[in-house]
Amino acid sequence: MEALGLRDDMGDKSAIAAQNSLQLIAFSIGEQTYGVEITTVREIRAWNGATPLPNTREFVRGVINLRGTIVPIFDLRARFGDGQTSPTKNHVVVVMSVGDKWVGILVDAVSDILTVSRDDIHNVPEGNSIDTELLNGIVTHDSRMVGLIDLHAVVSGAKMDG
Amino acid sequence: MSDLDDFKATYFDECSELLTELEEQFAAIEAGERDADRLNAVFRAIHSIKGGAGAFGFSALVGFAHAYETLLDYVRDGRIEMSDDVVALCIRANDIVADHVKAAQTGEPLPADYGMDEKERFDALARGDAAPGDDEGGDPLEEFDIEFTPVMVNLDAPQAAAAGEAPVDDAFEASPMQVEPGHWEVRFTPHRALYARANDPLLLFRELAALGEMHVRAVLEDIPPLADFEPFAVYCSWEITLISPALTEAMIREVFEFVEGDCDIAVVQLGGAAVGFDIPPAAEPAAAKPSAKAMLAANQEPDPADLLALADDEVASLLDFDVAAPAAPQPAFAPEPEAAPVSAQDSFEQAPGLSFAELAETIQPSPVARPAAPAATPLRAATPTAPSEGEESGGNRSNGVQSIRVDLDKVDRVVNMVGELVITQSMLTQQMDETLRARYTELVRGLEVLAQTTRGLQDSVMAIRAQPVKSVFSRMPRLVRELATKTGKKIKLETIGENTEIDKTVIEQLSDPLTHMIRNSADHGIETPDKRLARGKSETGTIRLSAEQAGGNILIIVEDDGAGINRERVLQVARDKGVVAPDVNPTEEQIDQLIFAPGFSTAEALSDISGRGVGMDVVLSNIKKIGGSVHVRSWTGKGTRMTLRLPLTLAVLDVMLVKVGESPYVVPLSSIVETIQCSRASFERVPSGGQVLQVRGEYVQVIDLARRFEMVTETDPENRFVVLCEAEGSAKVALIVDDIIGQQQVVIKSLEENFERVDGIAGGTILGDGNVALIVDVQGLKTTIVHKNAA
Repeated sequence: MEALGLRDDMGDKSAIAAQNSLQLIAFSIGEQTYGVEITTVREIRAWNGATPLPNTREFVRGVINLRGTIVPIFDLRARFGDGQTSPTKNHVVVVMSVGDKWVGILVDAVSDILTVSRDDIHNVPEGNSIDTELLNGIVTHDSRMVGLIDLHAVVSGAKMDG
Repeated sequence: MSDLDDFKATYFDECSELLTELEEQFAAIEAGERDADRLNAVFRAIHSIKGGAGAFGFSALVGFAHAYETLLDYVRDGRIEMSDDVVALCIRANDIVADHVKAAQTGEPLPADYGMDEKERFDALARGDAAPGDDEGGDPLEEFDIEFTPVMVNLDAPQAAAAGEAPVDDAFEASPMQVEPGHWEVRFTPHRALYARANDPLLLFRELAALGEMHVRAVLEDIPPLADFEPFAVYCSWEITLISPALTEAMIREVFEFVEGDCDIAVVQLGGAAVGFDIPPAAEPAAAKPSAKAMLAANQEPDPADLLALADDEVASLLDFDVAAPAAPQPAFAPEPEAAPVSAQDSFEQAPGLSFAELAETIQPSPVARPAAPAATPLRAATPTAPSEGEESGGNRSNGVQSIRVDLDKVDRVVNMVGELVITQSMLTQQMDETLRARYTELVRGLEVLAQTTRGLQDSVMAIRAQPVKSVFSRMPRLVRELATKTGKKIKLETIGENTEIDKTVIEQLSDPLTHMIRNSADHGIETPDKRLARGKSETGTIRLSAEQAGGNILIIVEDDGAGINRERVLQVARDKGVVAPDVNPTEEQIDQLIFAPGFSTAEALSDISGRGVGMDVVLSNIKKIGGSVHVRSWTGKGTRMTLRLPLTLAVLDVMLVKVGESPYVVPLSSIVETIQCSRASFERVPSGGQVLQVRGEYVQVIDLARRFEMVTETDPENRFVVLCEAEGSAKVALIVDDIIGQQQVVIKSLEENFERVDGIAGGTILGDGNVALIVDVQGLKTTIVHKNAA
């Protein structure tokens, strides 16, 4: 729900004015930093393997048991087209709520909690459709780029023929 | 307000039960069982619905139910014959009552004239067949067809007597000695609540009148001047005299059964004791101390010896009571001690608030009655019929006590926890290896007991959720009637095995699919009467709805003796709509299954009933959702059979745990026929490049799960296993897995909750070690293969 709220807010000027700052959980994939709004994050846990799901895209790493509920894990690196992550115990799963579903995202590490101003969110440069599809925007933090992940886009299209 | 809403919810629950009961009763009545018990049950149901409706102010429902009830009442006392027409009208009336209840529940009003035709027919019937001169539809008192002779009643009415307001029945007053034993007086003082619940004293009086010769006097002394008149207050009471030799107090009380608590009733046998008391509204007579009656309630067939022993105790207590009340004449015990104390005890039970002394006073014969017959005094209702009556009403009462209404959420919480318990238990058992077994024998024994207890607990919990399919089946007769009317066909519905029990969730999901299937059978299956006659069939088509348990499944079968599926047309439509590719030639069975394809409908003209192309695919998706499957088989010109295979319960599944590649998978045990080692199985190649397995002369399609699930596996092909499964329509499919780990029970978890449906996977489950295993969807695998071949 929160994720939806975020997306709506961004198109709504008055909402931005009302709540101008935004807290992000920042995580890294290789050298690059990405972020999601902190309110969407449910928990962060170490990678402990997943049961692979057959006949799904390579970025669907499988499902895990989160206290009795089955939660799918998406490999963000693979989602960006850089091949599957070879996860170790040091890799991290960020569990988030997207709409009314809970999903986990496999990343290399969680780095920081950032507070940024909504006014500082830049549009994703037109060009590569993967970038504009998967990112909601870009913010700068410590003179580094942080890509804002569009969770809905990340978790869609998981099936082979979809 | 919320209290009222609670009551309303309970009322609607009860209504749906009562409506179900009505359907049942009428199914039997329609079949020719027109005995009084059934009629009484119908009458009670309608009366209860009306009563509640009155309390909540559903006036349309009350009005209709009242008219219906009047008709039933006439039928019951034989003034109207229970002809087929009347039965048909009643069945129609049930539907209307159901609609009224629904309208009241949803708050959507029905048309004002809804059911008016039927209501008029009731009135016409009632008028036509009622006693001549009887004017229906006027003032309630006008339609009162009982001789209305005012009678002086002796019961605590000294003022009335003193005032001399009431005309006095001379013969009665002057010669009390001549009063016969079966001479009763009833004082009936309704409370406001009685009217609020839409009870009508008139109906009670009619019932009383059926018991014997009756005289009624209305006590109007309490009516205040008009200025002081409160609109809703009750000022009128009645004194009733009944004369019938065989009459017992129980018979009189039975008439007032429905209004117990809403009125004061005093029943006196003239020339006998007067027992007057209020019935406390909340008092539950059956809850009294153990008595012969309670015992009768507990045992359908009481042991005579026990009864006698108990009766002795009660005789003793009666004797005590007499000592306490020496003023009362010495009671002469009736010759049958078993029977006598029962009814005496009865009066204790119904007057729990009275002390012995008070009771003794009450029982003391009134001055008028005293000279009558002291010998016959205290044991007024001591007739041989008493025990059997006690048994009957006691049986009903104990039913009421033995069931409680529980919020389904609470049950579900227990079910879920028991599910987890079962899994933990099976995990513990798996942890036991040989060394542990040898060392801790006590622990092993404990685990075995735990396993048994858990299993028992699980079965019991599941039994709580299990309900007979009757609750769904009972909605179908109405559907069939409506379909028959709309299509102009003659259709008979037969139901079999309606007491088969299934999990409540499954039952809830069953209503829509069954409705669609029966619609389909009535609309497409059964032919019009002339067509049927032309084909040499009977004019009336039959739809048979049956339920049976088969292993871990419930089979629900909808069968009709209609035309069968028109395969040419089905295939043609499927091709036109692109459901089947032009170059594919499906088998007959595959064509039959096509009717479940989304967006598929062969109805040549879209009918009001079915043929919108959403229906049969709803059946499939609903049934799949609850882990079931659908199979259809058709015989041209002879009929169609649709079989729903449903799991007994949704909570726990017996599975075989296997490995595909390195991942754990589970296959539902209910679908497994046998397992074979690959090295011992004989495979054959087929042109498509696939394999078939020869099992006892039968060739079975082979699915290599590792390949199907696109897994990289390096297992030794010799050590793999074949799991032979039975898919729909007893079609077999052989799954090749890399290892078989064992059997266990699992709780099904949805993949769709957080993800989406995955082909070939029916869901997930969590194993003892916390890992997720996927449940193989045997039917789904088989179907996708068929499609792949087809495309």
